[in-house]
Amino acid sequence: MKQGTIMKPILTSLLLLISSFTFANQSDWQTVTDKARGQTVYFFAWAGSNEINNYLRWANKSLQAQYGVTLKHVKVSDVSESISQLVTEKIANKNTDGRVDMLWVNGENFKSMKQHQLLGAAFVEQLPNWEFVDKTLPIDNDFAEPTLGLEAPWGVGQLVFIYDKQTIKQPPTSFVDLLAYAQQHPGKISYPKPPAFHGTSFLKAALLELSNNDPLLYQAVDSKNFEAISAPLWEYLDKLHPLAWQKGDQFPANGGATLQMLDDKQLDIAISFNPNEVISAQVNGTLATTTAAYAMQAGALSNIHFLAIPWNASAREGALVAINFLLSPEAQSRKGDLAIWGDPTVLEKQHITGSAKETTLFKSIPEPHPSWQAALEQEWQKRYGH
Amino acid sequence: MYKSSSPASISFKLLVLVAIFICFVPLFPALLGLFSSAFAYLPALGLKQFSLLGFEQLIQWPGLFESILLTLLITFSSTFLAALLSFAIIQSMWQSKRWKWIETLLAPILGLPHVTFAIGFVFLFSPSGLFSRVVALLTGDSSNATWSLIHDQYGLGLIMLLTLKEIPFILLMSLALLKQLNLKQTFQTAHSLGYSTKQAWQKLILPQWLVKIRFSLFAVAAYSLSVVDIALIIGPTKPYPLAVLVWQWFNHADINHYTTASAGALLLMLLAIFTLTMIRVFEWLVVTKWRHWLTNGRYSLPLPGALSVYICYGLSLLILPILLLWSVAFRWSFPALLPTNWSFSYWIDELGYASETINNSVVIALISASIALLFAIVIHEFNVRRSRRKHSVYIPDILIALPMLAPQISLLFGLQITALLVPQPHYYLWVLWAHIIFTFPYIYLALNGAYKSYDKRLDNVALSLGLHPLKVWWKIKRPQLMPAILLAWAVGMSVSLAQYLPTLMLGAGRIATITTEAVALASGQQRRLSAIYALLQTLLPFIFFLLAVGLSRYYTNKNNQQHSARTN
Repeated sequence: MKQGTIMKPILTSLLLLISSFTFANQSDWQTVTDKARGQTVYFFAWAGSNEINNYLRWANKSLQAQYGVTLKHVKVSDVSESISQLVTEKIANKNTDGRVDMLWVNGENFKSMKQHQLLGAAFVEQLPNWEFVDKTLPIDNDFAEPTLGLEAPWGVGQLVFIYDKQTIKQPPTSFVDLLAYAQQHPGKISYPKPPAFHGTSFLKAALLELSNNDPLLYQAVDSKNFEAISAPLWEYLDKLHPLAWQKGDQFPANGGATLQMLDDKQLDIAISFNPNEVISAQVNGTLATTTAAYAMQAGALSNIHFLAIPWNASAREGALVAINFLLSPEAQSRKGDLAIWGDPTVLEKQHITGSAKETTLFKSIPEPHPSWQAALEQEWQKRYGH
Repeated sequence: MYKSSSPASISFKLLVLVAIFICFVPLFPALLGLFSSAFAYLPALGLKQFSLLGFEQLIQWPGLFESILLTLLITFSSTFLAALLSFAIIQSMWQSKRWKWIETLLAPILGLPHVTFAIGFVFLFSPSGLFSRVVALLTGDSSNATWSLIHDQYGLGLIMLLTLKEIPFILLMSLALLKQLNLKQTFQTAHSLGYSTKQAWQKLILPQWLVKIRFSLFAVAAYSLSVVDIALIIGPTKPYPLAVLVWQWFNHADINHYTTASAGALLLMLLAIFTLTMIRVFEWLVVTKWRHWLTNGRYSLPLPGALSVYICYGLSLLILPILLLWSVAFRWSFPALLPTNWSFSYWIDELGYASETINNSVVIALISASIALLFAIVIHEFNVRRSRRKHSVYIPDILIALPMLAPQISLLFGLQITALLVPQPHYYLWVLWAHIIFTFPYIYLALNGAYKSYDKRLDNVALSLGLHPLKVWWKIKRPQLMPAILLAWAVGMSVSLAQYLPTLMLGAGRIATITTEAVALASGQQRRLSAIYALLQTLLPFIFFLLAVGLSRYYTNKNNQQHSARTN
């Protein structure tokens, strides 16, 4: 009894504190949504897939209806383009009215944004929908770079391969097998030309396998050991290229191109960063219904892709509202819908509805340290790029 | 003439100044910006000392030399082939039975935008394109072709496309030229000396034609040298042409590439000067220095004129049907000759969203073409007035043509540097400004003929009757020029609608037009959608051309009626 009388005021004050805290948060958020109304958010995002572009059109419609925020998808072929523009603005001291309000980034690009101080204040905990996010996912690290709340997770990417069951009975499930396949079927294997995102990922995944997951790949690249660690990859590519599509004189422009080439029977295996892309591609008629996705036996190179706001965004509130909306169960369920985009969710499963629930991920291999990306791309350009 | 202090005179001078300020003055900071950034002087980016850093990085770039060679190969071979085949077509078809339809089809074929042509070309000539499918059907061997004209190493596909696309342009420019040459008399004289018509073409007309077509060849060469959009769609990738490399450095995440890009843009400018000089030297060699071949006897080279025109026209006319097919293809896998499943869903989905992009494109084109038209008229008037007085300053043709002859990416580089100095971003204004600069020379040239053939005595008579100069222009000159003005305006619209780099570079990517979408989709390999945008890209300028042709017919009729009423 006595204990209870002491506990009660503490509990009530605690409850009060919590409620006032959430209340304060709510009113803060109210200010954000009020300010956001009428803003236009220029969202610089990769536009290599029709499914993604259509999803963003839907998001724009919903945001306009619900919050009066216009989401404009600025279609870029590589988001690194936008980062160089931001660096230009940073050096030119353009600290307000920037051209970019929101970006779709991860890995190397996030690291470079952090390095050049292109990000504003941390924001993720400010978002009401943050509570639905699955915190067991590695969302506080982006390619081993701490995110510090400067970017919000949006979806999960896995490097998968797509084949046609009518062409191949047993697809090669390791890079060694892939080479053997190319020997038997010359001209039918290729990968997107680095520095295209999918192409560089192909290099990283191959190097991880060929170096037996060298732990040094998870540390910053060192010019001294780069040669030794990357040697097996170049040896491998030297063997693969003469057997590759167009004898390695040409490479597909990007991941999307490999899907088209699979349908054209130019390639036997296509590359995607979305385990469900094959399903939406079948729905849209771009791939045959006999196609399927698979991962390498060792697993699929996996990462989380994020949304970030530059320090000089002209519509920061609008961008916050847009990101919050994109993290809502409604938006994430639609994004994960197998017929629409099929991008795996970052929310806890219980909040997801529809076919997005059915997504199962492949065994995952974490991304190497981001510094490897530039190093591999540079060396590739030197060896094969011209 | 105007009295120097009349309000009309003052406002005319003001307009001249505004036109000069918008169309020509920016070219100087653009060139200045290009030079200073090439020498790594970029105060806005914290680089405050001149250095050769950019050039060092440029030289160290693996494959730069191959890239330069490839660029020159593409430029010279496409220009040479386009000139040679155009002449062959004229020589063998001029005034023949089929000449009429060659002339009739010229305008629609010329109106096909380059990007549309490139996208259609991919659908025809990629290893899984229509031709491969036909070959697979005929041979029964559906294993893929190993050759490719798309992104091929030597740029053969790009050379072929540029040649095919420039032939109609050179034909059109030749039409006016040939009327200036005294063809009938030339042939009579030649025949009387025992030369055949064919020999007369090659030994008598060709040297005259070559001199007169010089400027068009300059424009063709400059375009081939610096084109980025269609090079992205079908150009070689290993190595890239120099203009594409510059564009990639400009977009590179590592800001250090900016100086490389600047140095590359300057190098491209120097290559342009080199190329145009070489064309001039070639012309001098053929016409003046080595003129021996003109007098060394009665022989002529067989030129495949008829074949060239059939291939050029035939392929151009295949572009639209293949685009239409892909835009409604749901399933169309290799090697099926036709889609196996059809669907209009891509059209229906896309048109709902494309309206904003179409709107953007049309508004930008309307505003920039109309302003550029006004300026072109003002500068023409200015030059006409000036040419009546001796030793007075007028605006030289070379300055007017500069945006056509200098590599676009090099000029834009400088403009972009200038834009960086303005604190507030006005993307729309900048894009409009760039479109005005690049449409202006085309409109000006399109008005050239009408201005040259205008009978100045009409003005003098009206002025001597005491009519106000402005009234003279509006009541007498304008109706005469109206058909040319309308067509020039449509040319301007189509040039603006086709701009890729200016929209992207000065709009910071925020402004999407039909052309930027079409290129983005084509490089993203989304066939159905890029087919739709390629078709829209053709349709828009076509509508404005129809409008201009309709209105100019109306004016021509009106002029004729007035004329006949007067003579009656």
